[in-house]
Amino acid sequence: MTVGVVANPASGRDIRRLVARASVFPTAEKANMVQRLLTAFGTLGVERAMVSTDLGGISANVLRAVDRSRDNQWPKVEFCTDDPLTGTVADTANAVRRMVTAGARVIVCLGGDGTARVAAAACGDVPLLALSTGTNNTFPQLREATVAGLAAALVATGQVDATTRATALEVTARGRTELALVDVCASTSRHVGARALWDPAGLTELFCTFAEPDAIGLSSVAGLLAPSPRTTPDGVAVRLAPPERARMVVNAPIAPGLVRPVGVDEIRPLHPGERVVLRLRDGVIAVDGERELELAGHEATVTLRADGPRCVDVAAVLAEAARRELLSTRKESQR
Amino acid sequence: MTDTLPRPVEGGLDENRLREAYRVMRTIRMFEERVHDEFATGEIPGFVHLYAGEEASAAGVCAHLDQRDAIASTHRGHGHCIAKGVDVKAMMAEIYGRTTGSCHGKGGSMHIADLSKGMLGANGIVGGGPPLICGTALAAKLQQTGGVGVAFFGDGASNQGTTLEALNLAAVWNLPAIFVAENNGYAEATSSTWSVAADNIADRAAGFGMPGVIVDGFDFFAVYEAAGEAIARAREGGGPTLIEVKFTRYFGHFEGDQQSYRADEVANARANLDCLSRFRARVVETGQLRQSTLDQVDAEVTTLVDDAVTEAKAAPKPTRADLETDVYVSY
Repeated sequence: MTVGVVANPASGRDIRRLVARASVFPTAEKANMVQRLLTAFGTLGVERAMVSTDLGGISANVLRAVDRSRDNQWPKVEFCTDDPLTGTVADTANAVRRMVTAGARVIVCLGGDGTARVAAAACGDVPLLALSTGTNNTFPQLREATVAGLAAALVATGQVDATTRATALEVTARGRTELALVDVCASTSRHVGARALWDPAGLTELFCTFAEPDAIGLSSVAGLLAPSPRTTPDGVAVRLAPPERARMVVNAPIAPGLVRPVGVDEIRPLHPGERVVLRLRDGVIAVDGERELELAGHEATVTLRADGPRCVDVAAVLAEAARRELLSTRKESQR
Repeated sequence: MTDTLPRPVEGGLDENRLREAYRVMRTIRMFEERVHDEFATGEIPGFVHLYAGEEASAAGVCAHLDQRDAIASTHRGHGHCIAKGVDVKAMMAEIYGRTTGSCHGKGGSMHIADLSKGMLGANGIVGGGPPLICGTALAAKLQQTGGVGVAFFGDGASNQGTTLEALNLAAVWNLPAIFVAENNGYAEATSSTWSVAADNIADRAAGFGMPGVIVDGFDFFAVYEAAGEAIARAREGGGPTLIEVKFTRYFGHFEGDQQSYRADEVANARANLDCLSRFRARVVETGQLRQSTLDQVDAEVTTLVDDAVTEAKAAPKPTRADLETDVYVSY
């Protein structure tokens, strides 16, 4: 019985450290999180953990810990070493595919929204548990890895079945398709450049799978005007405009450290299966907060899909475990 | 529909500036490829370390700099010199060791400097640049010129005490200094994945309380955006930034390097990642520059580099009488 752990060495390193004082998530802490997951897995009888490899130092750190560990509760740790490392998003996708092929029952993903969407596109029907070690963390949860590890193990060992199906946005342009778990945004910026999107000037359209008023990132624009919870199938479509001309203006936390006025002309529900052709042709498309697709005059479409990744609901799993006393033992009274 | 909307980030990159950025990158590429060829003839004295493949870093950073600003370079310095405006013909003459060179033919490739352009010099000392930049940045801060200092250094230099001390000094004095770690993957023949603890050089910024970011060094626009933010922040008194640009150098560590330590990454980078090819494709398809404009630049640069080599070869070498000029102390 196997659980996969994929950790992105590059998450939390982009230009938002500079423009928005975003947090830095050190490699050593990512490696510590993997070790805390391993401890939780071992406690609940996970036999094998498949861990991604990287050149950023996370897998090296975990390997040293495996060699030196006196914690014999850890599951057998195998590293995904069959694919050459590229230093790109392909490393995350390749590792997740290997874990799926090897029969992983749950895949835990350490990264930000960008990492989670790559893992989600590769994990098929295997439940995903995305933990936050990135910048714009709307999709991954900011949770203690030990607790997340317990939840992952309870699902993987079949003791609790508490997963929910997330929705996803599929964006296609110039023959390329990307999956977004939170938002797709069009910007008049011409180039992907430093990738992150931190300047609200030139934003034209925004699509969200869900929109929470307490979210960080572009989805907060919709979340503060027309909240749409994760649990509903509908998403949100927003037409944006420069604040001085817009019908509404939202002061939105569009990135850590950045609260900016964003102009909104129209906001409406986006229905599953609905395919929208973007109005913008001359600009870029950002996926979960990162500029990915340069349009250069081409058409782009966005579709809300109901069949996003299956996600482990950590709170629900542990609530169920508590109700059924799965982590508890009652002793006979001594008296 | 988008004509009336503001375009973020590249607002400052109009047609002229895009063309000049391309000219800088193309000049560096042609200069380096020509030096590569000419070095093989044995006419060029000393060592040369070529910058081809890394052009987007020098061009993307220096596009934001002006006369107030100073840069410090590495032994792989030709690209930085060209991007900061050092005369290309004087550079070539310097590499050939001629009196018409930037340093009268006495420095060679590794010591090209032009203080009038704010170019403090290529530097034979690994990690030699960052402390110099703390000096120029302190001067700019005290004299309130609004100037910044930029230190380019490599992954090897990132492990040098001088670099780490300079990062600390820049942070405690809140200097308008930008540290550009050019990580081309190898310190001479040693892989940075083996030699750099913490692996990402940018991660070290957190230890000095300054922002550290990683950008794609093959992408002019990525470097331009990150450098623009860091330099604007420094000019406004926001303090230093560490930017790590990651890419691959196309030639060996030095000319003559057998490169037995690396495999096919150069062929892949040239084919799929090349900063000049990507820049050309993108500005043409977005309609920002015409193909013919870029071809024109290529032709002008070809002539410039040809002339630079011809003139360098024809120029005189220093004589015994020049031995006691350009020295601090004459005996």
